[in-house]
Amino acid sequence: MSGYNSDGFMDEDYDDDAFEYSEEEEEFGHNAIIGNSAGASQLNNESQTETQPGVSADGPFYENDLLDDTGDFEPVLGSIKKKKAWEVDYMIYDPEELRAKQVNIAARMEPLLGISKEATRLLLRHYFWKEENLIEDYLSDSERTLAKAGLTAYPPPPELKSGDENFSCAICYTDGADESYLALTCGHRFCSDCYRTYVTGKVLEGDSWRIHCPAPKCKVLLGITASRLLLAQDNTVMERYEENLTRSFVNDLDTFAWCPAPNCEYAIECHVPRTAWATTIPVVECKCGNSFCFGCKFDNHLPAPCYMVSRWLQKCKDDSETSNWIKVNTKECVKCKSTIEKNGGCNHMTCRDCHYEFCWICMGPWSEHGQQFYNCNRFNEDSSKEARESISKTRQSLERYIHYFTRYNNHEQSAKLARKLLATTEKNMEQMQRELALSWIEVQFLRDAVDVLSVCRSTLKWTYVLAYYMVADNQKIIFEDNQSDLEMATEQLNGLVEDPIGQDTVDDIKRKIMDKSTYVKTRWETLLRDITTGLQENRWQFETL
Amino acid sequence: MSMVPKRIMKEVERLNKDPVPGIEVDIVEGNIRYFNVIMAGPSQSPYEGGHFKLELFLPEEYPMSPPKVRFLTKMYHPNIDKLGRICLDILKDKWSPALQIRTVLLSIQALLSAPNPDDPLANDVAEQWKTNEKQAIQTAAAWTRKYASQ
Repeated sequence: MSGYNSDGFMDEDYDDDAFEYSEEEEEFGHNAIIGNSAGASQLNNESQTETQPGVSADGPFYENDLLDDTGDFEPVLGSIKKKKAWEVDYMIYDPEELRAKQVNIAARMEPLLGISKEATRLLLRHYFWKEENLIEDYLSDSERTLAKAGLTAYPPPPELKSGDENFSCAICYTDGADESYLALTCGHRFCSDCYRTYVTGKVLEGDSWRIHCPAPKCKVLLGITASRLLLAQDNTVMERYEENLTRSFVNDLDTFAWCPAPNCEYAIECHVPRTAWATTIPVVECKCGNSFCFGCKFDNHLPAPCYMVSRWLQKCKDDSETSNWIKVNTKECVKCKSTIEKNGGCNHMTCRDCHYEFCWICMGPWSEHGQQFYNCNRFNEDSSKEARESISKTRQSLERYIHYFTRYNNHEQSAKLARKLLATTEKNMEQMQRELALSWIEVQFLRDAVDVLSVCRSTLKWTYVLAYYMVADNQKIIFEDNQSDLEMATEQLNGLVEDPIGQDTVDDIKRKIMDKSTYVKTRWETLLRDITTGLQENRWQFETL
Repeated sequence: MSMVPKRIMKEVERLNKDPVPGIEVDIVEGNIRYFNVIMAGPSQSPYEGGHFKLELFLPEEYPMSPPKVRFLTKMYHPNIDKLGRICLDILKDKWSPALQIRTVLLSIQALLSAPNPDDPLANDVAEQWKTNEKQAIQTAAAWTRKYASQ
């Protein structure tokens, strides 16, 4: 329970916060950019009361590993803000920084391996940038390591030659001294036209450094220099080649991932290991504003862990529509639990599977109905009651699912509405600036409130997934209390934000919205902190997934 | 003329001049990219004595893309399915533009001699091949007599 009460409901300084919204914009809106061009970015926090282990004034713990290529790491905001319990460390790279990072790793490895720059770069790629593995293999058998990767320590610089009468290209069968050709260290010669066509084809298929000599079964890598030589005349393919190189760098590393937002070209580096994803949700926010889970690449699903989310989404995909329909339109046979739809006829039902006869209205056995064929007044007879009570647990579990799904879905829909609200809010803000003679900064409270709303909606949505899989016990009751506190406050804030604002009410509503936003945010943090520590402490039991 | 037809012309020329033993390649009239092939079953294999028909097509991108080859005769082979499609690495990702019609057909012939049930295309056949190889070979020989004896 630590962390639950400590944050309390309303802080003493609650009113003082009311006019600090310009500063808090970063909290729920876009991230503050901490760091230099390499763009370290973290969800931030205004409170500075505790120092976070691993985060020094110089930056996150991995700063030295990651930033040595781009120089100094100077926080733009003057100080690193404290990391919250549910936040993870990560860094954002643009394509240029990604290229620089590759160059730097290679530059560091080059003197260690003592082979050419080209061979170092290709070897690193061959080892998926796992430097330790590479060094280990290389030190035990350098020849073999290179040969397996299709490399030579010091390949001669690739060049197009011509003037050999005996040359014949094995691809196009043209021959003669006029043909210019290229041969790698393996000695397989192909004419430059064929080579170019071959490489272009591979590049357009998404290949880059893996392109090898076109000879059958030959593993010798073409290399980056030779590719550039061949593609020198074709800028579009050349660009694509470079793009593929960067792409393969991100794809080959477990600790890197592309931001999944459309047209976003940033990549994220995050070192939360796969094994920790069950208790830590590696949510990152890209510079483009997209907030997503580094683990499953799905939208931000705090506070539910990845495995639960995928399980839930699968369930929703399979079940939601069908189960609603089943619930509304069918009953179960009391005896064999077959699902029955009554699509006509009288109330005398005969189960097609087990041939049990019963009354559709009271679910009691038909044998007790005597001659009253077309109506049932036996609803309260004991046998009918029993029959209804025995209606299976499967239906109960279905209802349980629907209970959680309805709430989950409600928040999802409300979150969509909140985004719409944001658009109208912008308009309202302009209107207020004009009509009520307020300054831009004075109307930001509305935007902040809507930001808070949409973050809380998303969190609430996923708490229902957590609750669905959570086994009922006292700890769950506490969880649900926290959940309902936030839910109630969120709904109230939503109501306030939608209220019309006029000249005479503006001050009152503004104060109320700002108060409520602050309160909601506190509840949100309390809930998230509690869930994060709870997951890490195994406080709850979850249905075996 | 682009380089591709030149290569095809030369390949055809060489195939005519120096045919592959046991493999007969006929150009379908009017389409230089389409070939009818008759392959003799390799000796010491259940396909011995059979004459198997194949079709071979050179796509537009050939030789940068592999030729498309398919058996037209019914086959009992773990790497050849009911439609005659062939599971062979050089026809897929291991294709090299320096390979040619001749080498492809030789590889297919080699596949008949050495079936690979661990990388199956026809799962039922592969299963049979693994559990009861003798029976499988008998079936293959029976199919050869039934469908491939001209």
